[in-house]
Amino acid sequence: MKERIKEVCIGGSKRFTQGSCFKEALTMKRVSLVLLGLLLITGLVVTASEAGKLLIWADDTRTPIMLKVAKDFTAAYGVEVVVQELDFGGMRGQLATAGPAGEGPDILIGAHDWLGELILNGLIEPVILTPAIIADFNPVAIDAFSWGNLLYGVPYATENVALVRNTDLVPEAPTTFEELLTVAAALTDLDAGEYGFLIQEPDPFHTFALHTAGGGYIFGKDADGVLDPCDLGLDNAGSIAGAILLDQMVKDGIEIAGAGYNEVTGAFNSGKLGMMIGGPWTLPGAKAEGINYAISAIPPINGNAPGVFVGVQGFMISAFSDNKVLANLFIKDFLISTDVMLGLYIEGDRPPAYLPALAFLAGNEDIQGFAAAAATAVPMPKIAEMNSVWSSWSNALELIVNQTQDPTTAMQDAAAEIRALLGCD
Amino acid sequence: MYDRHTLGGSIWRHALILLLCAFSIFPVLWIASASFNATNNMGLQTLIPRHPTFAHYKELFTSDRYQFSMWLLNSLKITIIAATLTVMLAALGAYAFSRFRFKGRRAGLLGLLLIQMFPQVGAIVAIFLLVLSLGNIFPWAGLNTHTALIFVYLGGAMGFNTWLMKGYFDTIPRSLEESAKVDGATPFQAFFWIILPLARPILATIFVLSFISAYSELIIAQILLRSGTKFTLPVGMALLVSDQWSQRWGMFAAGALIAMIPFLIVFILAQRSLVSGLTRGSVKE
Amino acid sequence: MIWRYIAKHVAKVVLLGTLIGVSIYVTFVLLTKGMYVPAAMPLIGSVSIAYIFLTEKRYPLRWLVPGLIFLIVMVVYPIGYTVVSSFTNVGTGHMLAKDQAIDQLLDRSFAPADALSYTFTVFAKNANNDLALLLESGEERILYLHGEATAVAVDDPRLIDDDGDGEPDRFTDFARLSIPQIVPMLSTLETYRIEFESKTIGLESLTEFRTRTPTYVYDADAETMIDQQTGIVYTALEGIFTDQNGEEIYPGYKVKVGIRNYINLLTNPRIAGPFAMVFLWTFAFAFLTVLLNFGLGLSTAILLNDPYLRFRTLYRVVMIIPYAIPAFVTILVWRGMLNQHFGIINKMIVSSARMIDSAVNYIAVHGFNTTAVLFGDVSKIGWLADGTLAKISVLLVNLWLGYPYMMLICLGALQSIPKSLYEAARVDGASWWQQFRNITLPLLLMPLAPLLVGAFAFNFNNFTLIWLLTEGRPAIAGATTPAGQTDILLSYTYRLAFEGARGNQLGLAAAVATVIFVIIATISAINFRMTGALEELSKNV
Repeated sequence: MKERIKEVCIGGSKRFTQGSCFKEALTMKRVSLVLLGLLLITGLVVTASEAGKLLIWADDTRTPIMLKVAKDFTAAYGVEVVVQELDFGGMRGQLATAGPAGEGPDILIGAHDWLGELILNGLIEPVILTPAIIADFNPVAIDAFSWGNLLYGVPYATENVALVRNTDLVPEAPTTFEELLTVAAALTDLDAGEYGFLIQEPDPFHTFALHTAGGGYIFGKDADGVLDPCDLGLDNAGSIAGAILLDQMVKDGIEIAGAGYNEVTGAFNSGKLGMMIGGPWTLPGAKAEGINYAISAIPPINGNAPGVFVGVQGFMISAFSDNKVLANLFIKDFLISTDVMLGLYIEGDRPPAYLPALAFLAGNEDIQGFAAAAATAVPMPKIAEMNSVWSSWSNALELIVNQTQDPTTAMQDAAAEIRALLGCD
Repeated sequence: MYDRHTLGGSIWRHALILLLCAFSIFPVLWIASASFNATNNMGLQTLIPRHPTFAHYKELFTSDRYQFSMWLLNSLKITIIAATLTVMLAALGAYAFSRFRFKGRRAGLLGLLLIQMFPQVGAIVAIFLLVLSLGNIFPWAGLNTHTALIFVYLGGAMGFNTWLMKGYFDTIPRSLEESAKVDGATPFQAFFWIILPLARPILATIFVLSFISAYSELIIAQILLRSGTKFTLPVGMALLVSDQWSQRWGMFAAGALIAMIPFLIVFILAQRSLVSGLTRGSVKE
Repeated sequence: MIWRYIAKHVAKVVLLGTLIGVSIYVTFVLLTKGMYVPAAMPLIGSVSIAYIFLTEKRYPLRWLVPGLIFLIVMVVYPIGYTVVSSFTNVGTGHMLAKDQAIDQLLDRSFAPADALSYTFTVFAKNANNDLALLLESGEERILYLHGEATAVAVDDPRLIDDDGDGEPDRFTDFARLSIPQIVPMLSTLETYRIEFESKTIGLESLTEFRTRTPTYVYDADAETMIDQQTGIVYTALEGIFTDQNGEEIYPGYKVKVGIRNYINLLTNPRIAGPFAMVFLWTFAFAFLTVLLNFGLGLSTAILLNDPYLRFRTLYRVVMIIPYAIPAFVTILVWRGMLNQHFGIINKMIVSSARMIDSAVNYIAVHGFNTTAVLFGDVSKIGWLADGTLAKISVLLVNLWLGYPYMMLICLGALQSIPKSLYEAARVDGASWWQQFRNITLPLLLMPLAPLLVGAFAFNFNNFTLIWLLTEGRPAIAGATTPAGQTDILLSYTYRLAFEGARGNQLGLAAAVATVIFVIIATISAINFRMTGALEELSKNV
């Protein structure tokens, strides 16, 4: 019957009458009414960022603890605090669009090497701390968040890579890099999916240690101690020696192509990897899988202690916040406390930059291990010119790991590319 | 074009199709296996999970950090509205291009196509600022509203859809409407009561196409939607795979699998319209 | 009938009137915000719509208006905006509008040697909507009420000390707020700029107000910023205030720079580097993608359109699955599967190779590594590490992602081919291939040709796929600028724009988008001419 009505309606062109199509017309109307209604409802529920309410941008590892702190702050002062989870990598870009439009956060949690770009763009505000409070922080961390004579954020964690090893596979920390490679070679069986030592590739952040041991660096400093973008050290003898070492590791079948972050940590967390170069961020995963691990300094290469990058994480205040005083209050009175700093540590395993919290963790072996590796650490350069370095450098590493180019040429080409980008020829 | 199959014909057809099905479904099986795997660790994943569990699914719907069910509802709402309106707008436009002759018609048709070719990533900032100022005037269509997102999706409604639909309308004999007009129908009535029902397969096709394009759109939604309760599925899922995502791999896989279901339902429903329709109406003159 | 006529026209006039009314309101709002050019748009738009609906001459346009509104606002306008911003220096250091940058600089203050610090007390009534502020610094006591600052004596009768602790508890009928009560009011207090005896006082912290001296004074006529501490004059220079020695104060703002971005793009020696290679690959990638996807899509559509095929609905559903999951999800999964050492694909290849080897060993030759001899070391296929294989992988993944779309539109278009044509052909004794060649393909290509050109353009700019699957990798050895084997034009040039010396050059990126648009539009227009896609589709019309 239903079919018949349609038939008349569709095929009945010669007997076009409104009556026979009434039923379809009714449904059509109903559908459009419902749609219109839905449209209106959508429009009615609106949220807008407003004064007197704090908005915090945090990434996945910081969001849970910030939610707790936010709850406490609301309970104490009756001020609503909203924590928005954003992806760490995209946060800077989002801030650049949303901030000036008045849609950005009041507070964001990020890394110190963002500073150059954020300040040039006028996106963040200086924070003023009393000397007494500043003295409670790791000086490296304070230095990292300083620009000129101003402090642009309150640091909460310092992080650097170290040698992370599975103690079931490698009970004793190797004392030299050569020993490390011997141990690694013994453990490696590519066909069985077992690995001795992996550095995540192609990632300059993790291979930096190889380059620095022989005297490699990114940017040199001028007479005033300021970074000089045109004094590039990526093709000096030390940097190239590091690249040659990496090449040899590949030739020996220790390092392999396609070992990205997820692959390396995946292998480690499944107990198939003896040692890796990793930061504090790799620990939660290893703990979750019940891997017995220990952390130690990356052993000396040819007798030279390798340097690693130190990154500092901290809280910054948006220049476009309508609640700067409130945001300051939140950071100074609520975040700078041993409890919160320890909470942040527990959630993300990043060593606190706040000394009272660090003192509390003095006996912690993870922290000691990372601290040992940080002895020869250099802060990640925070000048905007760093943007030009990463691609060329990681391309060189990739060409080496894929065995497409010899290590010397690869590093020289990369350095030439970067000089061209920075206009240093 | 088609004949009854011989046994051999039947076998090679099914063999070929099964091969294609395997190609299509293999990565999805991999996702499915991860979603039932107790560990989040990709390194330990096997195609058949060793310790199957529903934990990741449970976590998806109970986590207070990731409001997955909210994302699903948001996505369904936005997608259904956007796809329905897209079909309407495209049908109106296509009808005009198919049936009327007017100045600028060819230029308009060409323009519609060319305009879609602007690299979308280039215009993202502009869309953000536009919606922001729209919100200053109409708060219900500003940033972080689903209305704004729907509006943006409707911006692309005319483009390729108009072309696809116009091509179909062109094959429907004009005589059908003409006779309706003799009966006193206005052009709109003729369009609505004669053409649209005949064009059901193409309407269904376009509904399915615009459904999935809105359903899986990430970049614009990501920049327009700000709060977790407003997210669409892709935006939320992108959050799940950001940063230390290997720790949420199982949850992510479970989400991806659930996300698939609404579209498959829509597709199965549209199936009936895809195959029936025109053949019955138009040929009977 | 006459009533219907009247009702219809009354409705039309009312609706159009409302539309114009709303647009006048919008125009007014925009004017008050100082947006003069955008302000004209709603008015122009609504008047044109009214014109279209009131004259019969523009009748066909009525059908197009609903879609066109969204198209113009949401697609054309952003494109226009992007093209305009390609003529500016917007980017790192020049993100803000001029007035935003100036506001920020003027908001900076410093504490001169004679800066005063005030403690303060807040009194409130009407649910904190009415505030009175008492500032104290030494002997100085200022009362700030309803935007007026006045000096008050210690014994002012309006300040009432109820408990006699020497601290006022009330101001007339305003009650004193405790510290926790002040916290939610901080953002309101922060907006106060209290002018008193030529001092400007502003909120410093929860317990302090402070006199502020602006660091800079702006001279709008000369476009200069003068530093009040040092006296240095900074002159606006291409969107940034710069002193004689080239010292700049940040943030800068965006200014028009003419066609500099285009010149930069076209004369840039870096562009000349691997550009030709990247361009060729982009073209090949887009073309091969369309060819492969359409080929497979059409084949499956024809197979699955067969009324005699059993389970065809089930098959269709299975084959549509790649299309049902957001692409960014499946691209990530593919990336993992294609990994050289960790991916399932190589693992499966290795285990099947072992099976073959042991089978061969079992049957015939012992200790003979058949697959290794035939195919080399299968355990190390660098799907994403080797240049050629990476290109194949990209095409393969894109085929997986894209053929369901082609299948869908082919299925839709197949329905529009009248069965009678095939019946007639069959009567004439045409073979299956002849039917396909002479009926199916031409009748299908006619409506689909524009979509294929569209698919070509889409893939030409398929940034998401490349970025998520390979990031353009593997790198091209010996390139003069960072470039990868699978980089397409868009990903390659965007890298140039985002990795310049000074961070993001969004203006340059906009120029890139515009140039690529021109390239692809030209290619498409030529395509249209060649394929005749724009010719009328059917004699039937």
